[in-house]
Amino acid sequence: MPTAIITGTSRGIGRALAEKLLNSGWHVYGLSRSSAQLNHANFKEHLLDITDEQALQAAIRLIAESTKTIELLVNNAGAASLNAILLTPFKTAESLMRLNYLSTFNTIQLVGKLMVRQRGGLIINITTVAVPLNLEGEAAYVASKAAVEALTKVAASELAVQGIKVVALGFGPIATDLTRAIRPDKIQKINDQISRADGTSIHEATEYIFEKINNPKLITGSIDYLGKTR
Amino acid sequence: MTRPESISLILKRLDALGIELNKPELRTANESTRLFGDSSSLDSMGLVTLIADLEEDIRLQFNISVTLVDEKAMSRLTSPFRNVNHLADYIVLVVNSKKL
Repeated sequence: MPTAIITGTSRGIGRALAEKLLNSGWHVYGLSRSSAQLNHANFKEHLLDITDEQALQAAIRLIAESTKTIELLVNNAGAASLNAILLTPFKTAESLMRLNYLSTFNTIQLVGKLMVRQRGGLIINITTVAVPLNLEGEAAYVASKAAVEALTKVAASELAVQGIKVVALGFGPIATDLTRAIRPDKIQKINDQISRADGTSIHEATEYIFEKINNPKLITGSIDYLGKTR
Repeated sequence: MTRPESISLILKRLDALGIELNKPELRTANESTRLFGDSSSLDSMGLVTLIADLEEDIRLQFNISVTLVDEKAMSRLTSPFRNVNHLADYIVLVVNSKKL
């Protein structure tokens, strides 16, 4: 049975993907601050602040001790903040970078070392259409996700020799806690821009990720968005 | 951890890498075998693989999580990754200081 580690499993896409994988015969380790309340024999969770380097290291070590292989890592935990560049507090920009980019960097490094040993694995980093659309009012968020995309490409070329694939998958606004604060007309405008007038549901996003996981021809280093971005 | 244990860990890993990378010279490595540079059989990614493998070997055999590449390793006058000898000494140092 394949094993996955997913960050941000307490709600939204992370939780839905965990459920989908569990129902498809996977073992899933969830990393999140609060519990996913998922009752499944093959689901184990570690509650932690993913930006806490020591806690993350300890959790990955425990996972490594309890499973022989890790086939999949999904870096999904993330936060967004809407504000004009001139008005965004430095602290906000800093914490977005820590959560969206640095925790992804850290997780790739820790889990990547385990994947190197097995000479294979798939790493999926969750990104956003806000990057290619250069969305106004989301500079700090977009910059942190652009860093994730750049990291994806470099990690893909570095880890290719060890048979590890690294990709990024991005979505438009999905009705989760992340987008709750955005005005409906703004969300509609973004959805129209990416030719998804009806928006994207958590279910659609999950299916999209699942399809990529099962695609043996998935090209490492690719950044794919659900929706049209150009 | 003793020095012979450290040497044996590295040589065992190099042997496995020699098979995997189809580089027979790694299979007959000894204490003076270079681990990077022009005269080494390992390229930079090969060295990264070796280090990652060794960190896992140490975790499994000695139940200790170590990071072999950090600022401390990089700022040493003689690189611990220069040859098998230096790496073996460095691993003993890191593992034993972690045990204390």
